[in-house]
Amino acid sequence: MQEFLLILKGDGMNHLSPNELQNIMAEYKAWANKLGDQYLSGQRLEETGALLTNKEEGITTDGPFLESKEIIAGFFLIQAADQEEANKIAMSSPHLGLYAIEVRPIAFPKMK
Amino acid sequence: MAKKSEQLVEHLFRTEYGKLVATMTRIFGTSHIQLAEDIVQETLISALDHWSIEGIPSNPVGWLVQVAKRKALNELKRNKMMQKHHQSGGLSQDPSYQIGAVFLQDEIKDSQLRMIFTCCHPSLNVESQIALTLKTLCGFGIREVANALLTTESTINKRLYRAKASIRESNLPFCIPQGKELESRLESVSLTLYLLFNEGYNATIGGTLIQKELCLEAVRLTKLLVDYFEENQKLCALLSLMCFHTARFEARLDDHGAIVLFEDQNRMLWNKELINIGMLYLKKSMHGQSLSAYHIEASIGAEHCLAESFETTNWQNIYNYYKLLGKLKPNPIIQLNLAIIQSKLEGIETSLTSLNKLTKNKALKNYHLLPATQGIFNMKLGNYKKAIAYLHEAQKLRPSLTENKFIEEKILECNTLLSTSS
Repeated sequence: MQEFLLILKGDGMNHLSPNELQNIMAEYKAWANKLGDQYLSGQRLEETGALLTNKEEGITTDGPFLESKEIIAGFFLIQAADQEEANKIAMSSPHLGLYAIEVRPIAFPKMK
Repeated sequence: MAKKSEQLVEHLFRTEYGKLVATMTRIFGTSHIQLAEDIVQETLISALDHWSIEGIPSNPVGWLVQVAKRKALNELKRNKMMQKHHQSGGLSQDPSYQIGAVFLQDEIKDSQLRMIFTCCHPSLNVESQIALTLKTLCGFGIREVANALLTTESTINKRLYRAKASIRESNLPFCIPQGKELESRLESVSLTLYLLFNEGYNATIGGTLIQKELCLEAVRLTKLLVDYFEENQKLCALLSLMCFHTARFEARLDDHGAIVLFEDQNRMLWNKELINIGMLYLKKSMHGQSLSAYHIEASIGAEHCLAESFETTNWQNIYNYYKLLGKLKPNPIIQLNLAIIQSKLEGIETSLTSLNKLTKNKALKNYHLLPATQGIFNMKLGNYKKAIAYLHEAQKLRPSLTENKFIEEKILECNTLLSTSS
């Protein structure tokens, strides 16, 4: 097993209506349940924040600082056998479509 | 840990969105409706995050209020722009105390009332009023508003943008009008809700569920007003007429979504409870001197709802009501209704003569229900060829899909009857 970070990009959910948000909740729940132990954690990020590039200049930008499709909306940490399985999990996520999902293996896999 | 409930009440997010946006607008002022909406949207998204993983809390509404309150406080702290609003009679020095107060149940209702008056402000055109009401008070998404009003998302976006800009520019106060102003402001609010209801009622025949929700929302908002302005007879009449129409909702389409003509409707499907509520408010509406078009329309609705059957309906009463309505609110559709009711009083031939005269009325030139009625009446008289011609004419005037299917079936019926009779 290896850990993967699913990085969700975009601002899809901002454009869903309250009814659509309520409906997607059931799908999201089912997805996380189905993953079981393979689901490790997940968080959404606020769109605010700061961007720092080097010590000299300090804060270069106060967020939100990117084009909306580039904004990192949140992440999931999952476990999968390999990249292929991790991709499959991302593919089955109800968030795909609302967000683009980057599937990145965590370096230095934990030995279990 | 608190007990988790498995399921949320249907439309909980939508209803709470409306309440919270009104409350937020009270905190931040009408110039910041967009900010209010953004905060509430964020609140719902947080709920989605937490509840999907941790389960739904035992008091979902309380949870939403807590999170929204915290977000509002953060926003207040973060943003100095609020100072101005505070000094102009908004919130006092201690925002946390005041914020607690506006989230109390009665105050949320109060905020919703203020929001109704803001959305239906006479400085906005009616299209914008309806779009803004649906978006902010009813919690519909842009796409849903567009579907409900049978238009495009970009049109709705433009209407909302303009409405919000106009509210900002005119610096509208967020309040319930008082004194002399109240009467006229209530008139325009009533009209908007009446039109909102009609949008839904007339379009339901188009077959989507969202239009029924439009009607129910119009009823909900009118009820909110009636509860507050108990003495206003016009509002009571408006609520009453909405109840009578809504009561007949289920009977208008059959199990396959096809139109059932009024005369063929199964009256057992009419909602008795709503009819009773309608009667209650019709009575209340009669207590004073005022007589409005809503009173007459509600009386017509009552007449229909109280009749045992289509045949035993008191058509003379209904005819008289329409006559009166025509005087108060001259409108070609009323003329059309009068001509149709004539068929019950003086026979179909007389009615057809009146309908023929109406074809010269410019306002009805493109109204598909006129030739459709002429078609159906000719069919009843056995003039199938004539009937087919009228029904074809109606089809050319862009009836809704469901209506078109109905007309199609009637043409088919006429053809069958023609071939068997020859």
